[in-house]
Amino acid sequence: MSFLPLLLVSIAAGFVGAMSGMGGGVILIPALTLLGMDIKHAIAISVVSVIATSSGSASAYVRDGITNLKIGMFLEMFTIVGALVGAAITIVAAPRPLFFVFGIVLLSSWLALYLQRHEGWTPVAHQDAMSRWLQLEGSYYDQAAGQTISYRGARAYFGGPLMFGAGLIAGLLGIGAGALKVLIHDLVMGLPPKVSTTTSNLIIGVTALAGTSVYLAAGLIDPGLATPVILGIVVGAFFGTRLLVRLSNQAVRYFFLVVLAVLGIEMILRGLGGAI
Amino acid sequence: MSQTPAVSQPPAAHAMEILVGYILQVGVLLSMALIAVGVAWRWLNTGNPGFDYTISGMNFFEFVLTDIQQMLAGTFRPRLFANLGIATLMLTPYVRVLASMLYFAFAERNRKYTVFTGFVFVVLTYSLFLR
Repeated sequence: MSFLPLLLVSIAAGFVGAMSGMGGGVILIPALTLLGMDIKHAIAISVVSVIATSSGSASAYVRDGITNLKIGMFLEMFTIVGALVGAAITIVAAPRPLFFVFGIVLLSSWLALYLQRHEGWTPVAHQDAMSRWLQLEGSYYDQAAGQTISYRGARAYFGGPLMFGAGLIAGLLGIGAGALKVLIHDLVMGLPPKVSTTTSNLIIGVTALAGTSVYLAAGLIDPGLATPVILGIVVGAFFGTRLLVRLSNQAVRYFFLVVLAVLGIEMILRGLGGAI
Repeated sequence: MSQTPAVSQPPAAHAMEILVGYILQVGVLLSMALIAVGVAWRWLNTGNPGFDYTISGMNFFEFVLTDIQQMLAGTFRPRLFANLGIATLMLTPYVRVLASMLYFAFAERNRKYTVFTGFVFVVLTYSLFLR
């Protein structure tokens, strides 16, 4: 597969991924398989590029003091084990089930985007003993609100095991699975939205590394494919982040809904017996 | 003695955030630069920026060691830069975890989180030894 189409597809995937907040992998992997790449190679290459995009965006949030390092490091214990298991399954799996599961994840993202909640954040009223013992709390300065927001995390006993599942999907499909991590932070642990997304970003990098190590050992990290994809996705994400459209515009949101639906149905059909 | 507001973080926690933030930023930028140099050099040499070799039959540490040996031997070529870029990218979160573990152990003296980050570090080290 030649350099230029790989580079261009990756720039587009990085751009769209950053602009929508979904991450590049969800678009990149279906696009690479449409270019004719075998799905396991596409997954392996995507997971390396996820290290770059997540670490790049995490660095600024960490220094701004929005990311909660302790919550991140507690949850990483679960996601990395999940990612190792997920990547090991992919290595031995047949391609069709991978297409099918990927399609399901795309359609779930479609549903999450379609139902997009705009509820405010309700602080945790009662912190359980385990979350208190784990020191799951913090505060950050909210620039938009112009004040310091203090918060406490709860239900670590559910959050941890659920993050194993998020890590499993990340390792299995070579994506960041950020939307799933954010959902666990928001709904289960009661973290403020900004802390959820930035802490998820931090966790994604380490989780992707665990997945990458399995794919590297399997000989699936091909430098000829990896170099244009890594460069392209980082460049695309850089410009996508700076555009900051972030689905505020209805037209952009409809565009992503169509893209996710088309790719999701296409991947499921290929999983069920189409060309792979 | 000036009074600190109740909401502000202890200075120790802030130092760790700066450390982690810079490790991530420097790692990603360095890795991108190395890969870009490798690709550009190959393009200038051969007219084709795409590499056509594979990394197989070795674990991550052997991969890094081979690159360092080539570097010390002075055999610089486009492929070495691409390899160093990929290795740097993979080392970025790894070094971040190591630095956090040492910080929790020696600066913050937080035994609980030293154990947590230690667990993550051990699992990652194990996975990087896979081949």
